[in-house]
Amino acid sequence: MYKIMMFTGGVYKFSELKERVHDIGGFVLQEMVMQTETMMHLAFPEEEERIIRDKAKETGGKLKELPLAGAEIMVVVPSLGKHHAVDPMCDIAEFLRRKGAITNMMGLARGVGKRIAQITAREKEIIEECDAAVFVFGDFKECLEVKSKICEAVDVPYIIAGGDLEVDIEHYVGNIGRKTARMRHKEEIDMLELLTEKIELLINDRRRELDEDPLATSPLFIKEILDLVLPPKAGEEFSTIMQLEGLRVKIEAGDEEKLKNVAIGKRKLSDICEIKKSEYDGYILKILPEAVTGSVF
Amino acid sequence: MEVKVEGGGEFCDASYEKICMSTLRDISLDSNIDSVYMNCNAAEHVFIISVKIGRVQSPITVGDMTIKGDERLTVTTETHAPKLLDLLWDRYGEKVEQISRLEIALKIDDDEMQKLMSHVVYDPRVDLNTRIMDGIDRILPEGARVRHPIRSTGRITIIASENPIKEEWKEKAKAMLSKMTKGDS
Repeated sequence: MYKIMMFTGGVYKFSELKERVHDIGGFVLQEMVMQTETMMHLAFPEEEERIIRDKAKETGGKLKELPLAGAEIMVVVPSLGKHHAVDPMCDIAEFLRRKGAITNMMGLARGVGKRIAQITAREKEIIEECDAAVFVFGDFKECLEVKSKICEAVDVPYIIAGGDLEVDIEHYVGNIGRKTARMRHKEEIDMLELLTEKIELLINDRRRELDEDPLATSPLFIKEILDLVLPPKAGEEFSTIMQLEGLRVKIEAGDEEKLKNVAIGKRKLSDICEIKKSEYDGYILKILPEAVTGSVF
Repeated sequence: MEVKVEGGGEFCDASYEKICMSTLRDISLDSNIDSVYMNCNAAEHVFIISVKIGRVQSPITVGDMTIKGDERLTVTTETHAPKLLDLLWDRYGEKVEQISRLEIALKIDDDEMQKLMSHVVYDPRVDLNTRIMDGIDRILPEGARVRHPIRSTGRITIIASENPIKEEWKEKAKAMLSKMTKGDS
């Protein structure tokens, strides 16, 4: 299994660290050089962590664990109006990003209120394209209990963030609710930490399930190949987003055939993945289990 | 500004008190409002909010926000500068030129300039109700879109719900209001 960590440091021996990651069969997922500062997201086999830590120490940089790396998470709010955006919606999304997740934000079309709150089939499909979802609702216990039924319809792991502390619903984190200012106090940061921990548990459960029935190949490997075959345009970031069991690939309309025919080992991408157009952005690649496709090499 | 929220439980009351305070402060209404009372009944999804209007700033004249010079005005309070320019362009057209951020050249005679200094640029009383209604809209839960106002002097009271508002709630709100008005006087 791969471990994903963030390296921050100077440019001293920076390329040597990159080489070392490639040597042990790892990947550089993201790289940002800002004058003399560098930041990299590295993925490498778990058992080789010592080698990377030693090299990072040698370069004088720091390594930070990213427990949510490789997961795409949707932050869902009842509406994009001033009642729910920008706080606490953006605070939660920012916190998840700090832990390595790629986040999307979504306001429901008819998510406000108690009796009148609902989710459309298309919204449900968009949420289900991600690995997990965080529903950010308001303060009132009565509303939260009714609205939790909306979330039950969604077929991905989810967390509900609300205000009232005495709410008896599954996957619930209280003490957040409606905010009019940035969550920067200690007790608010603690709540965000708790929310991230709960999401982490759900993601880890899914990772464990995938370990029992491994995928044909790692999304990291497909991402590496896709970045070579269909390189991102200048200035474009995150053209390929990793998910737990696949990828979201943002390509131009005409490139769909090219995508299907990309060679992964001895197989074509369309042989080992279910490829479908996303309801939201790009194409969703769901990698099939190795038990179905056989070995790619 | 005094804020009191009841009926939502300990957490929600405290949270809505914060929401009221910061929302009204954000839209610069905290100095124009004496008190806010809010009653939350999430079980029936009925919210009553009553805002007592306090002292309002007196009208701002050209003389209040500028210093008169030789065929020019120097803006001292920039907040209402766009409104001042609007007024000047409207009255004097091409005779007005904005030289820099705070300097306005004005080719008019001294008498006219003297008259201009007492001209009202902005009267906060004109759009006070609209601004309070905007504040109330930001405070009330988004789903509570059915609104019913209750008339009274010096107060704006709104009942809000996602359901049609029953007579029972109107009566309840009126009772609350009369209790508060007695307290006011």
